[in-house]
Amino acid sequence: MNLALSTRRRPYLLALAVFLLLCVINTILQPSFLRFGVAASNVAAFLPMALVAIGQTYVVLASDIDLSAGTIVSLVNVVVVSIIDGMGGSGVSIALGFAVGLALGIAAGLFNGLCVAVLRFQPIVATFASGIVFAGIALWILPEAGKQVPPVVYEAYSGALLGVPTVVLILLAVIGFAQFVARSPFYYALRATGGNMQAAYQSGVPVARVRIGAYTISGLFSALAGLALVGETASGDPLIGGALTLSSVTAVVLGGTALKGCIGGVAGSILGAFILGLINNVIFFAQLPFEWQGLIQGLIILAALAGGVVMARGKNG
Amino acid sequence: MPILEASGVRKQFGGVVALDGAHLTLEPHEVHALVGSNGCGKSTLCKIIAGSLAADEGRLELDGREVSFAGPREAAAAGIGVFYQDLSLIPEMTVAENVYLGREPRGAGGLVDRVALRDATARALAQFRGVLGADVHAEARVADLSADQCQLIEVLKVLAADPRVVIFDEATAALDRNQVGAVFTRIRALKEQGRAVIFITHRMDEVFELADRVTVMRNGRTVLTAPIAATSRDALVQAMVGEAIAGAARDRRHEPAETVALEAQGLGSAKLDNVSFALRRGEILGLGGLHGQGQSDLLRALFGVLPIVRGTVRVDGHPLAPSGPRAAMRRSIAYVSGDRARFGVLAIRPIFENLVLSLLARERRWAVARKKLEGVITPFVERLKLKFSSLQAPVSELSGGNQQKVVIARWLAVVPSILLLDDPTKGIDIQTKQDLYATMDQLCSQGVSILLHSSDDEELLAVADRVLVFNGGRVVAELSGEQRTRVALYQAAYASARGAPAEVTAASP
Amino acid sequence: MRARLYGVLRQPLSIAALAIVVLLAAGELLSPGFVSQRQLVTLLKVAALLGVVAAGQNLVILGGREGIDLSVGGMVSFTAFLAGNLMQQQDALLAQSVVLVLGVGLATGLLSGLGVTLLRIPPLVMTLGMLGVVQGGLVLLTRGVPSGRAAPALTRIVNEPLLLGVPGIVLIWALIGVALTLVLRRTTYGFNVYAIGTNEAAAALAGVPVRRTRALLYALSGFFAAVAGILLLGYTEYVFVGSGDQYMLPSIIAVVIGGTSLAGGSGGYVGTMAGAIVLVLLQSILTTLNIPPFGRQIVYGLTLLALMLLYGRQRTLRA
Repeated sequence: MNLALSTRRRPYLLALAVFLLLCVINTILQPSFLRFGVAASNVAAFLPMALVAIGQTYVVLASDIDLSAGTIVSLVNVVVVSIIDGMGGSGVSIALGFAVGLALGIAAGLFNGLCVAVLRFQPIVATFASGIVFAGIALWILPEAGKQVPPVVYEAYSGALLGVPTVVLILLAVIGFAQFVARSPFYYALRATGGNMQAAYQSGVPVARVRIGAYTISGLFSALAGLALVGETASGDPLIGGALTLSSVTAVVLGGTALKGCIGGVAGSILGAFILGLINNVIFFAQLPFEWQGLIQGLIILAALAGGVVMARGKNG
Repeated sequence: MPILEASGVRKQFGGVVALDGAHLTLEPHEVHALVGSNGCGKSTLCKIIAGSLAADEGRLELDGREVSFAGPREAAAAGIGVFYQDLSLIPEMTVAENVYLGREPRGAGGLVDRVALRDATARALAQFRGVLGADVHAEARVADLSADQCQLIEVLKVLAADPRVVIFDEATAALDRNQVGAVFTRIRALKEQGRAVIFITHRMDEVFELADRVTVMRNGRTVLTAPIAATSRDALVQAMVGEAIAGAARDRRHEPAETVALEAQGLGSAKLDNVSFALRRGEILGLGGLHGQGQSDLLRALFGVLPIVRGTVRVDGHPLAPSGPRAAMRRSIAYVSGDRARFGVLAIRPIFENLVLSLLARERRWAVARKKLEGVITPFVERLKLKFSSLQAPVSELSGGNQQKVVIARWLAVVPSILLLDDPTKGIDIQTKQDLYATMDQLCSQGVSILLHSSDDEELLAVADRVLVFNGGRVVAELSGEQRTRVALYQAAYASARGAPAEVTAASP
Repeated sequence: MRARLYGVLRQPLSIAALAIVVLLAAGELLSPGFVSQRQLVTLLKVAALLGVVAAGQNLVILGGREGIDLSVGGMVSFTAFLAGNLMQQQDALLAQSVVLVLGVGLATGLLSGLGVTLLRIPPLVMTLGMLGVVQGGLVLLTRGVPSGRAAPALTRIVNEPLLLGVPGIVLIWALIGVALTLVLRRTTYGFNVYAIGTNEAAAALAGVPVRRTRALLYALSGFFAAVAGILLLGYTEYVFVGSGDQYMLPSIIAVVIGGTSLAGGSGGYVGTMAGAIVLVLLQSILTTLNIPPFGRQIVYGLTLLALMLLYGRQRTLRA
């Protein structure tokens, strides 16, 4: 099996190679990289980005895009924190806050899905517009970063269960969920929709429902990322999701998923998110002059994006 | 009682009337052929039956009860299966995923049972064992398959849904003899089981080989329905054309010269195999044979759109290495595609822009001098008898025939010496065709050389001075003079596929 | 006749014009004195800045193949900084600074264009990557500390009334509007742009130099971003970090409001100019209403969604 064939069957292979390479480089620059505590804190830092990237993957597979993902993260983040803080930080408030947060993410995703699939707005502009609305609501609820959540929240997040860090458990659970979805009839319909929407429609695939489903999942994962950030920062910030939208798209592309749809998957996006995080680390630990870091990072990402696209195309030309 | 009955169906797309009161009746245990020239409405009628188009007016009855489908899903649920001419496969997905799209076998927890999926696909593929090729298996990616393999996969996909009524719209277009035979076997099996099949084809032989009854459509209406035994080829063709078939003798004014305008030696590419020929000045050289045997590929290769791997091409004695349309244009070569929607017109742009595009490319001017350009293109517009409301109107307002005229006028304006016509009259009305033949004749008498590929055999034989018959990417016969008959053409076209060229006899049609 | 009138009214340009009138009326109602010359002039100046950025965005979107330029905001910030540091508040250095900065914009845009045409990287991805590089480059040059100042002549040209009480920046914008419309409608290049945006395969077969045409679109987008950066410098006189970032997404919206289809091949710059004015008016009214920033944002987004209902909808799958 030549390289092109393997890459096509498993689009994340290239991302995996890059990820491993970055781990090696990272270890060279920061010998403690492989140590348990450091690894766990890295996962904790990369987790929100990975979650948003996972949600984005489903939308991109259907040949759509979700430019509101980051703002949903912010919105859920501030809502959850406000509820917990407003109800005095009790256990009930935490549970309620989390539940409302998830429901909110789902609702936002549904809204996006309806705009794109039912009202037939163009995905780029529609989700950008909804993103503006979500960001505005987030600012309304919490105009400035602040509010606190009880220590138990971030202790649980940065802690461990039976020796396994919570963040790793979350990641494993999410991967398990993704595996489950990948075997569902929905996933086949999703890829067909992204591969050739007209053909999928003619074949009886419920295209509109599938697209709405993808956006809803994206909203859910953005909400999860918002919750993760609550656990990590222990406070709320209406601007916290800002850069996550475009970063999630970058992670998805780095992971081998094609923006035109059908090709790729969640595994690649998780790797893509971790790659972005590791690039950050590498640049930091390489102790490059501060002012050069942004540019170097930008160039690496640009090269990786270009490389990813060119390689994924392979024989098809 | 008929399984299916469509009556009084009307459908309009913008200004174009596609169906104007069409009927169709399907009995159980029946293969019903649906024929008509391009644009007669047969595909549109089938799309309405299949639920992917909504009729403006008309009635559809299934088993005597009136039905109305909101979409393809409802039609499929009612037992209607469709083979779409432009296929409904997802290129990046596997054969198995495509064949059972929306019908994947389920396992534990409602998840897709991948093993069952693979096995079911293998069983389906076995139905076409021997004609499908060894590289086709359940996990193969559809994008890697050839056109004929894709068609067979689409057939399997349609059959996998176990439909009661099956519509095959040009299901055999890219298939060879053996593959067609395999498909027919399956269709006959369906018939035995009491199902009904609507079969659309442009091959008369298939109609008479397979069908029980035949319906002819013309200009959006049903003009003839008869049991196959009670009709003949001529009767059907007459019903399709609507008037007596014009005699083969045509008013021809041009005479090819002896000088060679374009010469090809041993051309080889992905789809071509050792193609050699000489195109004389002022000649119309026809490219015939079954659809997709290399005719289009040759034209596109000469224009620089497809790569040539082996062989040489010389234009007026000088070597030509076509690197793209602009390079070909510099050598005075023009190309007109028959697929005008995809490769011809800029639908939403004004007629003016469509007309002057190549002229601007050739002239290398940066400013558009409207009046001057209008003056340049007007003679060509008149020559082609192109009618429109205003130059600023979008091209999409024109009929198919006139749109094609726009594309041709675009190229005539740059005064090419070699014109590559790739099935230019597909889906065009008779009058426009006549206008085009007259123009081609005129051009040839002025020294233009034409390579004409046509899927309309009658047209090809009547218009071309010589006909090269393609089969499997090779030229298997050259017909000239008295040999230009349909019998000779079909003999050569159907020659032992991928085998030795057939003997061409000058027998009468 | 009525059908034709209805058809004209449904054109994006008409709707935009109507929106402008409605917004002006609403502004006057909500805050008397809104429609004063001073206010309108300020609005036009801000609209001009957005309009110039939107010119480049308009071009890449017209070219089709999901053309978009996410790097324009970063480019505006970058070029504003570069210009300020090159001219260092000296009139003598103005001309050469402008030429150099415009060249940088053109070259950067060309890089994006080459990535899109030669490597066939999707524009969303390519310009996104470019944005990262440009922003990184800006950090490198500024070291986090903004510096640079406009030459007095520039500030004068941009801000002060030059003709009929109209400030230079608005005149420059109008000139760009005329020039760009002429290019799109009266030159071979313009025809080629519409051709590749409508049907790239057909355009290629007709002899249109597709790659060259498209690469130049991105180069021009960078060029116009640079123009906007210089004008922004003149407008604010000092350089502020990231002052150009806010233009990216509104430039896309202005183009859509103006009637250019995101699929490419149809639309023109005049509509985009109207779109820019609509957006700036909307922002201004929301500010006047003393609606806090979050409220403005929400209304902004909802308005955009409402506009999409009018003419942003795609084809159904079923005819």
